[in-house]
Amino acid sequence: METKNSEYILTMSHVNKSFPGVKALDDVSIRVKRGEVHGLVGENGAGKSTLMKILSGVYTKDSGEVVFDGQVIEKTTPVESLNRGMSIIYQEFNLVQTMTVGENIFMGRFKEVGGMRGTHKKARELLDRIGSKIRTHALVKDLSTSEMQMVEIAKALSFNSKLIIMDEPSSSLTADELKALFQIVRQLVQQGISVIYISHKLDEIFELCDSITIMRDGHVIDSKPVADLTRAEMITKMVGREIENEYPPRPECVGDVLLEVSNLNSHKLHDVSFQLHRGEILGLVGLVGAGRTEMIRALFGADHVRSIDVKMEGKPVHIKNPRDAIALGMALVPEDRKLQGLVLPFGVGSNISMAALKNISSGPLKVVNGSKEKELSQRQIEDLLIKTPSAETKVVSLSGGNQQKCVLGRWLEMSPKVLILDEPTRGIDVGAKFEIYLLMKRIVENGGSIILISSELPEVLNMSNRVLAVCEGRITGEFNPVTDSVDTIMDKVLG
Amino acid sequence: MKKTQKIDSQTVIRFIMDHMLVVILIALAIITAMVEPKFLKVSNLTNIMRQFGALSFVALGLTFAIICGFIDLSIPGMLNICAVMSVILVNPLGQVGALIMTLIFGLFAGFLNGALITRSGGTTQAEGLFITFGMSQVWSAAAMLISDGKTQQLRWCDKPYTIFKFMGSYNVFGVIPIAMVLFVAVMLILNFYHKRTYSGRCMSLAGGNKTAADLAGIHVNVTIMRTLAIGGMMTAMGALMLVSRVTNASPTVGLGYDNDAILSVVVGGTSLAGGKGNVLGTMLGVLLVTLLSNCMNLLGVSSHMQYVMKGAVLIFAIWADNRKNLQSN
Repeated sequence: METKNSEYILTMSHVNKSFPGVKALDDVSIRVKRGEVHGLVGENGAGKSTLMKILSGVYTKDSGEVVFDGQVIEKTTPVESLNRGMSIIYQEFNLVQTMTVGENIFMGRFKEVGGMRGTHKKARELLDRIGSKIRTHALVKDLSTSEMQMVEIAKALSFNSKLIIMDEPSSSLTADELKALFQIVRQLVQQGISVIYISHKLDEIFELCDSITIMRDGHVIDSKPVADLTRAEMITKMVGREIENEYPPRPECVGDVLLEVSNLNSHKLHDVSFQLHRGEILGLVGLVGAGRTEMIRALFGADHVRSIDVKMEGKPVHIKNPRDAIALGMALVPEDRKLQGLVLPFGVGSNISMAALKNISSGPLKVVNGSKEKELSQRQIEDLLIKTPSAETKVVSLSGGNQQKCVLGRWLEMSPKVLILDEPTRGIDVGAKFEIYLLMKRIVENGGSIILISSELPEVLNMSNRVLAVCEGRITGEFNPVTDSVDTIMDKVLG
Repeated sequence: MKKTQKIDSQTVIRFIMDHMLVVILIALAIITAMVEPKFLKVSNLTNIMRQFGALSFVALGLTFAIICGFIDLSIPGMLNICAVMSVILVNPLGQVGALIMTLIFGLFAGFLNGALITRSGGTTQAEGLFITFGMSQVWSAAAMLISDGKTQQLRWCDKPYTIFKFMGSYNVFGVIPIAMVLFVAVMLILNFYHKRTYSGRCMSLAGGNKTAADLAGIHVNVTIMRTLAIGGMMTAMGALMLVSRVTNASPTVGLGYDNDAILSVVVGGTSLAGGKGNVLGTMLGVLLVTLLSNCMNLLGVSSHMQYVMKGAVLIFAIWADNRKNLQSN
């Protein structure tokens, strides 16, 4: 048994956890030092979240030992872990939108901190400690994502946390906000607090972390100081095979104009016009909220607009709803795959076949051809290498990358002429990302065109033939990602 | 990923939890038969099957609505107006006309629910709940108006009402009520519609995630209207069954049917969250609810206590459903 003054704040040894049919954690051992930033990386489905849920007490481990701060922890609950000094900041924040910052930090403990006055006073102290200037009386719903994160961190500090686990904290932060976050994390570490930093973004891991644990398929593959690892080694260990480039070479055979959008106006968009060529990947770059998503949703007929003129292959067309767009050979992979893309309680097969169902039903009653349906979902599962036990498996139990492939497979079955991808790789691990890039390349090589929206600038710049900068509902510039510098593009993006 | 293959008490418990309904049904029947031998008499069993009539059709329609993501609370009002209407229309239209008009009215009223929901943009479950609840009030009031608040007797009609009599009292082979046969036929048709046709599949997908269904090219609004129209027609069928059995129509006859129908649907394994469910399960659910009423009547349980029991069963069924969902995630 470790003593209270041990070098390690958290020691997990030989932890196992099985779910019906799946071994989620297999002999996992991790040690986190006091006052270090420990990176935890791995593809989706590698077991990171299961590990966290065991730590916080949502799941109970089958076997193994967990020692936190010198105490052996057999069974715990989320509240007990919090009081013991272990906080988890989830990707989806645990904040009450309609309450103030101070109230959120001391939720349920108002008496102990001396009523409302004490709450706000203590909250102020905590926020000052991490150098945040948020007013404690502000409502959480009025805060930006990064400010909400600050509130979460202050909340963690209010429990005197010795270990803070951050799950994908950077996924919706801008570059500046990320810098601020890094600074705060470093401050925490200086105060002797340990941080487990879970992220897909390797740059962040290398910049921030002292040591790192790589997981894959429920195993710990490696655990060592960051200095002893190269980027390429890390990717290889994460995906279990070597990936030479992070991006495939961009497509080359761009043809004539396929789609022409002009005079697009809505309450958020102003005079938007652009063209899309055959066999082209067109990237839209802009800040979150600049109007990128609104543009493609308007094109797809998903939102109401004041005016829009669309020409497809030279002929004017009217798109009033998604069905019109689909009939014209368009397809949309929406930005939020769980809310907008997938029917979560349904099986992988149903999720893949749902767009094509109409085409495989026949007769006056429109009876769905069951064997054709099975055939097409099986085809996509095999083509896209979707990792699923069967077509009947619920799509919710798949990892992010495989879920995204289900949405892609749904549209590939329709052989779309214009495929619109809105943040296709958000929250997806390196291996699955590369597979999706290859897929995009295959689509354009077969004569399709792609409109790509992504908040990851390197992704857009490396995949696109042409890039449009979007700022405040307008297209502010057109660039060639090969010849134009990132700075000139960002200049237009920021307006 | 390794498969764990162990058969232990957990597996047995899970099997019982998954097939809870059948287990309870059998247990309930055995216990009642032991305590009260009258239960197994042919006359009682026929009686159970006949009671089945109204509730079973209403529950079928509600199953569809819930699968599509809406809890249709217009049931009591719809039953009231349809029942009263079917009797009042016998004189001007004749019995065939009255039957057909009632069914068409049910279809229309259901469609109206759907149209109100989609046109007002109130497509969340809660909004749908209150829109249909409001419609229930409207139809109840309309039933009061056209009936003058009086119970309408079929025997007051000048024209023959033989079809009503036939549906209410004819037994195939002397034991199986015609209502039961009709129900099974309709259930099989609806099951085919739900599982095999494009419209039926759209209904499930829209219930599972409206936004995703819409972006995948499914006409969600039409799907909602179609589904609720079918539900309305089923409620009208239920009203006709009810009138046929008791040969009169009170303008408040539908009271309490919403509770029983929701209970049957949920007990039958349809998830209140939408998307998942099936009409075959609903049949078992209706059987359980009817059996439960019958058993409690035979055992002399007071009607107030019966409500308590049904409420408890409903909460238990929701708990069991959520428990199942938790495990599968």
